[in-house]
Amino acid sequence: MSEELARALDRISRVRGMRGSMWVSADDGLPVAQLLMEGVPGRAVAALAASLVRKVSGSAGAVGAGRVRFVQMEAAGGTLLVAPAPPDLLVVALADGRVNVGLARLEMMRAAAALAR
Amino acid sequence: MADDVRALTAALARDPSSLAYAELAESLRRRGQRDEALRVALHGLARHPQHADGHDVLARIYSDLGDLDRAQLAWSKVLELAPEHPGALKGVAFVRFRQGDARAATEALERALAIDPDDEAAQRALETMRRDAPVADLPTAELPAAELPTPGTPVPAPDAGAGPAAQAGAARGAGVRARPPVFSGFDRATADILLLDERGLVLAGGLASPSGGDVSELAAAGLAGVSGEATRTAQHLALGGWRTIVAEAESANLVVAPVGPGALLLVRRDRSMPVGLALRFAERARGTASAWLEGQGA
Repeated sequence: MSEELARALDRISRVRGMRGSMWVSADDGLPVAQLLMEGVPGRAVAALAASLVRKVSGSAGAVGAGRVRFVQMEAAGGTLLVAPAPPDLLVVALADGRVNVGLARLEMMRAAAALAR
Repeated sequence: MADDVRALTAALARDPSSLAYAELAESLRRRGQRDEALRVALHGLARHPQHADGHDVLARIYSDLGDLDRAQLAWSKVLELAPEHPGALKGVAFVRFRQGDARAATEALERALAIDPDDEAAQRALETMRRDAPVADLPTAELPAAELPTPGTPVPAPDAGAGPAAQAGAARGAGVRARPPVFSGFDRATADILLLDERGLVLAGGLASPSGGDVSELAAAGLAGVSGEATRTAQHLALGGWRTIVAEAESANLVVAPVGPGALLLVRRDRSMPVGLALRFAERARGTASAWLEGQGA
């Protein structure tokens, strides 16, 4: 299992502009596996991403949008991407402004789907 | 200085050990003097650490200051001291609601009503929640903030603009209340586009549930939490200001974006619309919302 997780992170990290990617426990926001550039605060990224997805999922439920499959938060200095991987993990990626979001999304969704299988 | 504050201050000066500090702190809070209210409450509680009403006032002040964690702690303390304190039960419901825990919010309201079945604020809040978001269906949904003010806070009036209601004609928007027609000309202008303020109060637009009910307030309350979380995340990760959040969900894509300081836009688009297009649509709606807010002097 850990090799599979690591391989997925390796693929995601090859996307241009990627600063790091991680598997995160959805419930407690703790990192499970990570591949980060130096200086990226892994624990903070994990905790904040999990919290953000919880909030977004709550709102999506409230507006009848259903289960959230992918979240991207774009900011002036970078992008945070999260793909829930049921039942209890998240694929999280932090990227700079050059990132190809479409490609990163594909890799992350693929990783999440592979884990679900 | 208002008479009540003056009288309470005098009473407290005469007898510093008086419990009048709680009433004084509440009066100051209601007048918007939150820092002073906090100082009075903390000072009083240092003398009377087991005074439930003092902790209740303290919780309201923290809530007004936006510090829900401390508000929650203070209301928990009230319930330790007075398990049937109705103000604290409604306060806990408010905090739980803002934290996205509809089930806990409902339980707290039900307890409050079991103690005081005539509590109209609690009745309204519970009715709204059951009407708009059955807890069993939406375990993480949030109550409309307007129905669950912190005790003593005026209940915000429903947005009652002059615009026609739900002119989009789509069945899903038919039940949405009339609000300023800011997004007229946009597809599903009153059913899928919502403008709200940072406190979770609806400003314009509207959001309809699949059955046509107006879930604008419910959504707005929840989105205020998302905005705060996004700001916190961007700050902690040194990402600068956040621009958009896109959530791809099973039956719809959601785009959330800040509109100047203090306002937030939600656009919901069917899954059939590509995300890139939904983002462009949202950007156009944001421009319209921004212009409208400027026109309002906001």
